[in-house]
Amino acid sequence: MKQEAFQARYEPEWHRFERWLDAREATKRAQRMQADAIMPASEFALALRRLCQQLALAERRDYSAQLIAHLRGLAQRGHLELYQPRPPRLRVVVDFFAATFPRLVRAQWRCMAVAALLLFLPLAAVVALLQVHPELVHSLFDPMQLAQFERMYDPALHAERLGRDEGSDLRMFGYYIYNNVSIGFRTFASGLLACIGAVFVLVFNGVIIGAVAGHLTAIGHGGPFWSFVAGHSAPELLAIVISGGAGLHIGMALLAPGRRSRARALGEAGVVGAKLVLGVFAMLVGAAFIEAYWSSIAWVPAWVKHAVGLGLWLLIGLWLWRGGRGSAAPEVVPDARG
Amino acid sequence: MIDTLAVVETPEGIALQLRSAGALPRACAWALDLMLRFALMFVASIVLGMLGSSGIGLFLLVLFAVSWLYPVLFEVLRNGQTPGKRVMKLRVVNANGTPVTWLASIVRNLLRVVDVLPLCYGFGLVASLCDAQGRRIGDLVARTLVVYVESPLRAAAMPATPAVAPPAGLLPAERAALVEFAERSARLTPERQQELADLLAGLTHARGAVAVQRLHGMATACVGRA
Repeated sequence: MKQEAFQARYEPEWHRFERWLDAREATKRAQRMQADAIMPASEFALALRRLCQQLALAERRDYSAQLIAHLRGLAQRGHLELYQPRPPRLRVVVDFFAATFPRLVRAQWRCMAVAALLLFLPLAAVVALLQVHPELVHSLFDPMQLAQFERMYDPALHAERLGRDEGSDLRMFGYYIYNNVSIGFRTFASGLLACIGAVFVLVFNGVIIGAVAGHLTAIGHGGPFWSFVAGHSAPELLAIVISGGAGLHIGMALLAPGRRSRARALGEAGVVGAKLVLGVFAMLVGAAFIEAYWSSIAWVPAWVKHAVGLGLWLLIGLWLWRGGRGSAAPEVVPDARG
Repeated sequence: MIDTLAVVETPEGIALQLRSAGALPRACAWALDLMLRFALMFVASIVLGMLGSSGIGLFLLVLFAVSWLYPVLFEVLRNGQTPGKRVMKLRVVNANGTPVTWLASIVRNLLRVVDVLPLCYGFGLVASLCDAQGRRIGDLVARTLVVYVESPLRAAAMPATPAVAPPAGLLPAERAALVEFAERSARLTPERQQELADLLAGLTHARGAVAVQRLHGMATACVGRA
C-alpha cells in the first residue's frame, strides 16, 4: 500500500486519537471531562494497539519520516497515558502501614539492629559517662547552649510549657516537622555514601541526645527532662533507627551487592528505602504531634507521662514485631517500575 | 558518536524513543524551580508573618513542603514535570518509558541529598557527565530518566508536483529519502533545494530548478499520489 492511501485510510482514526490525548492531557478538569465524548476510555486500549500496529507498518514500509514521527509521537503520548500510575487507594495505604512496613523493617533486621546499636550505644555511654565526669559536657556544648538547655528544663521555674523557651504549640510542631523529618530523610539518603553518612548521623545524634540527657540528669534537672521526652521518644528514636537502617541497607547495596549487579542492587535497595522512609515520615509526624501537643504539657504528673511513653514503646514495638505476620496473603508488589 | 537516544521496546511491539537531557537544561529547570520556591516562601513569609508565633510554625510547614514534597508531587501528579521542567520541556519518566511512579520519584528526590554534595550538585554533575544518558545518582538508583518532551512537528504539505516515475530498483530507504526531501522543502530556501538536488544529477539528469521539480515529482509518485 502506498503511503497516500495508507494515510487516507487511517487519518480519521489518528485525528480522533490525538484529540482524545489533547483532552486527557489538559490541565483543566472541564477539558479532561470532554475526553469521553471524543472516545470512550474503554476504547483507548484498542485504539492504542491499532496505532502501534500502524506505526510498525509505517516503519516497515519506509513511509516518510514525517508520518512516522507523527505516529510515534502519538504512540508515546498514548503510552504515557496507558501507564499512568493509579492514585494510592485507601486499602493500599492501610495495608502498607498494617503489614508491609513492619514486614520490611523485620526483613532488614540486620541493618536495623546495627543502626539501633549505633544510636543507643553512644547515647547510653554518654549518659553514663556524664554521671561520673559531668565536666566533660563542656567539650560538646558551649556555655550559651548549656544555659539554654538548663533553662528549658529548670524544675524551679515551674514553666507552663516544658522543653522550650517560647513559642506556641503550632510553632513547635512546624519546627519539629521541618527539623526532624528532614533529619530522617537525610539519614536515609546519606547512607548511599558507603554507609558513612548514616553512621555519622546515628552516632552524632546518639552522642548529642545522650549529652543533653546526661547533663540535665547530673545537675538535677532530670525530672522535667525525662517526663518531656518520655512521650515522643519511642516514635522519634525508632524512626531515626529505621531511616538509619534503610541508609545502611542502601550503603551496603553499593559496598557489597552480592550476586547482583551494583545497579540492580541499588535499584532494589532504593525501593525498599523509599517504602521505609514513607513509614519513617508517618512516625516522625506522629512524634512531632506528640512532642508539640502532649510532651510539653507541664501539669500532667510525671508518672502519667512515663506510663504513656512506656505504652508507646510497647505498642510501636509490638507493631513492628507482629505487624503483617500471620496474614497469609503474599505481599502484593505494587508495580513500582515495571 | 554522542547519542543520547535510548530506545525502549514496549509490550505493544513498538520502540519508544527517549531523548535524555544533559546537565545544563536540567540545571536551568532546577534554577527556575528554585526561583519559584523562593517566591512561594516569600509570599508565605509575608502572609504567615502576620500570625505571630503560630505563623512561624505554619511557615516551617510550608518550608518543609516546598523543600521535600514539591518535586515529588509535581512529578507524579503533573506528568513528570515540575514547573521548571515544564518550561524547559523536560519530563521525568521511568527507565522503561512509563510515567514516573511514586516510589521512583521519592527515591530520586530524596537522593538529591547525595547529589548536591560536595557542593552545587558536584556528585550529580560528575555522574551525569559519566553516564551515557546523563543520569544523576538519584536517577541511577531510582531507575528514572529525564527526557525531552518532543514537540510534534506539524506535517508540512508536500509541494504539489505532477508525479514522475522514479527509476526502477530504488531501495526503500532511497525512496524514503526522496519523500523526506520533498517534505522538508517547505523549510529550505530554493537555492539550498537546488544545491541538494544537484547532488542527485545522476538520478534526475538535470540541474537547478528542473532537478528539484523532478525530485518532487518522484516523491509524489513514491507516496502514491496521482
